[in-house]
Amino acid sequence: MEMKKKIILQTILFLILIPTLTTAFTYNSKEFKHIISQLDMQGHADHELSTCSVKKIYYDEVVEMLNGGKSENDIIQSYVDEYGQAALRTPGGGTSGWIAWGMPAAGFGIGSVIVGVWLRKLTLKKAETKMSAYKGWESEIEKEIASKTFDEERRKLF
Amino acid sequence: MYLIGNIAIYLGIAISIYGLIANALGIKQKSGKWLESARGAVLSLAFVSSISSFLLLYILGTSQFQFKYVASYTNESLPLAYKLTAFWAGNAGSLLLWAFLLSIYTAMVVFSKEQKNPMMPYVSSILMLNVLFFFTVMALNANPFEMTDKIPADGKGLNPMLQNPGMILHPVTLYMGYVGLAVPFAFGIAALILKRMDSEWIKLTRRWTLLAWLFLTLGNIIGGWWAYLELGWGGYWAWDPVENASFLPWLTVSAFLHSVMIQERKNMLKTWNLSLIILSYILTLFGTFLVRSGILTSVHAFGDSNLGTYFLVFMAFMMLFSLYIVMTRYTLIKKDSSPIEAYFSKESSFLLNNLILVAAAFAVFWGTMYPLISETFTGTKVNVGAPYFDKVMAPILLGLIVLMGICPLIAWQKAVIEKFLKNMLWPLAMGVATAIILFAAGVKGIYAIVGLSATSFMFGTHVLEFARGIGARRKATKENVLKAAFKLTVKNQRRYGGYIVHIGIAVIAVGVISSHAYSSEVLKTLNTGESIKIGEYALQFNSLTEQMKNGNGVVVADVAVFYKGKDIGKIKPEKIFYETWPEPSTEVAIKTNWSQDLYVVLSSWENKDKVTLMVKVNPFVSWIWTGGIIMVIGTAFALAGGGPASSRYQINKGLKTVGR
Repeated sequence: MEMKKKIILQTILFLILIPTLTTAFTYNSKEFKHIISQLDMQGHADHELSTCSVKKIYYDEVVEMLNGGKSENDIIQSYVDEYGQAALRTPGGGTSGWIAWGMPAAGFGIGSVIVGVWLRKLTLKKAETKMSAYKGWESEIEKEIASKTFDEERRKLF
Repeated sequence: MYLIGNIAIYLGIAISIYGLIANALGIKQKSGKWLESARGAVLSLAFVSSISSFLLLYILGTSQFQFKYVASYTNESLPLAYKLTAFWAGNAGSLLLWAFLLSIYTAMVVFSKEQKNPMMPYVSSILMLNVLFFFTVMALNANPFEMTDKIPADGKGLNPMLQNPGMILHPVTLYMGYVGLAVPFAFGIAALILKRMDSEWIKLTRRWTLLAWLFLTLGNIIGGWWAYLELGWGGYWAWDPVENASFLPWLTVSAFLHSVMIQERKNMLKTWNLSLIILSYILTLFGTFLVRSGILTSVHAFGDSNLGTYFLVFMAFMMLFSLYIVMTRYTLIKKDSSPIEAYFSKESSFLLNNLILVAAAFAVFWGTMYPLISETFTGTKVNVGAPYFDKVMAPILLGLIVLMGICPLIAWQKAVIEKFLKNMLWPLAMGVATAIILFAAGVKGIYAIVGLSATSFMFGTHVLEFARGIGARRKATKENVLKAAFKLTVKNQRRYGGYIVHIGIAVIAVGVISSHAYSSEVLKTLNTGESIKIGEYALQFNSLTEQMKNGNGVVVADVAVFYKGKDIGKIKPEKIFYETWPEPSTEVAIKTNWSQDLYVVLSSWENKDKVTLMVKVNPFVSWIWTGGIIMVIGTAFALAGGGPASSRYQINKGLKTVGR
């Protein structure tokens, strides 16, 4: 009984694994697209495949490596080993990468602080002058007349 | 021809120098005669640059290969339209186009109804300094009228990628945008020199700035459309350094167009506005420097260029000159600035809008320059490609869309939070409903759904604003809806033109988000009669034929297209083999409907019965072009509307503002 269970389980596992073991990677494979989207291909990444021989070489190499059993990390690393960070389309890790990714955020942060301080300064300036500048309505009648005038002007504007 | 062309260029230099001297003497001696003479110089410059431009068009159109420029960019078999557009295909021609447009703009400004304005001699001097620079560069380094040593039988021809209707419009519109920004820059600096710290220069240049922004928008959109049709990789924006260079001034001018409204109403942000317009102008020079210096790799760059140094020197000079003027007038600018009434007001939201737009510009600038910076400081080149910009810009642009949804609902001076929340209810509901519908429809990708919902919210705000305006008008005038809508928008073209532009941006956002998140691609080799399935499309390869078209060999694939099982016709991607060009050119075949583009490229073939096709389904790309058209309509509408209300200038003289 125990043996039967084991055989069934192994068969199921085998059936599940077979397609992944036998399926060859192509240009349309998800894994291929994910890897290729990270490579700069010596500045040819945005070129059209049919007219760019450099891009074609990269495509074929990546498919070959995938079919040769290499993982995504291995493939990316092999290009980084060969060309350095210039192999990739985006900055990687390390100080240089951190500076590249962090600077826009830092710029936005510094800008936010400047705008915040500026806004506070300008609003405080208003608060200082508010008392002297403020004039309330002398009476309800004056308020009513003003309100009617505003309304009339609004209509005229339309 | 050679003589006329060269004389025109050297005359351009001489007249610019004369104009500058005449203006200087006129200002110093307060002499109307000298100033009048300088105005004459401006007119002569326009004439001389027109002569040289028409001459270049003539030699291009008549294939006079004794001229190096003509032989380098055209050939006998090139259609006339492209012979003429070769005007701006190379360095020398594009510099002449710049000088021509600048001279015409200068003449239009100097002979406008403001010609007696005291700022005008300064404005014309600054503009003529620019013209002088371009004529000098042409004379020293990139003369379009240079002769060949030996007259070739035929020219080299035009790069096939440039043989597209986009070539007629994209460079010209972009240059008109770039050149147009020199006008508000010149007025801003002139106002500073004369210590006129009011908003007059902004009033005088509102239309110029808007016009420049309109052309920059148009140039960028047409550029995207051209890339989509011609480059064959299925995208429209690659974050290429030169594309970024044209996007940078667009961002800073967008910020400027918003912040000037605060200066008009509150007489504040004067330093900021001046800085923005200076920055925008400098960025136009920076863009030109990038294209011509070759310091960064770009598909747009002029390959044979060594003009970078000239532009770098001129850019540095103009930057230092502007900085000097601003610094020496800084205390004056700071005077008479009004305070902000409350944190929660339209003024503050505009400041936030400026922060986001400038942050976006900084991010684009940083990403563009980082490969150079990293190589200079570490010796290691680090690439910053499209995925970087997509990641960095997505949250910034999302923030901008959300802000565009909020801003119109906030009142000037001091907004009432309860009223704001009440007004926001419907747009917010629209955004949430969009998210629910997308989830319910099984649409995946949380970031895209957030983006689309935010866009829907922004769109809802603008629809609500129109609805509220129409409602208020109808209440007061009892007009019918259409009449009320028409009169409402016509009475306040600037405001509603702006809203139309925002709606255009919403439409573009739908296209950009959807095409980024949901496009699919298949590359497959097919035998005759075989099919590819992609999305709801099925494509059957029928045949491959060879033919001659305009003297060039063309290979055409005949592909039948089925949508949801229904035959919707044929699609014929091509490869064109130009005699004058080593590589074949791709002619993409596109079938468009309102929601998606079927994008087919003939990638390669083994024989007549076996081809490889690259097929993409790009959702909502046509919305980007539609959105662009809406933006242009909105800008034109705002442009045609009257200038800022005179009451706003009285406000600057000390009167208090009235809230919305």
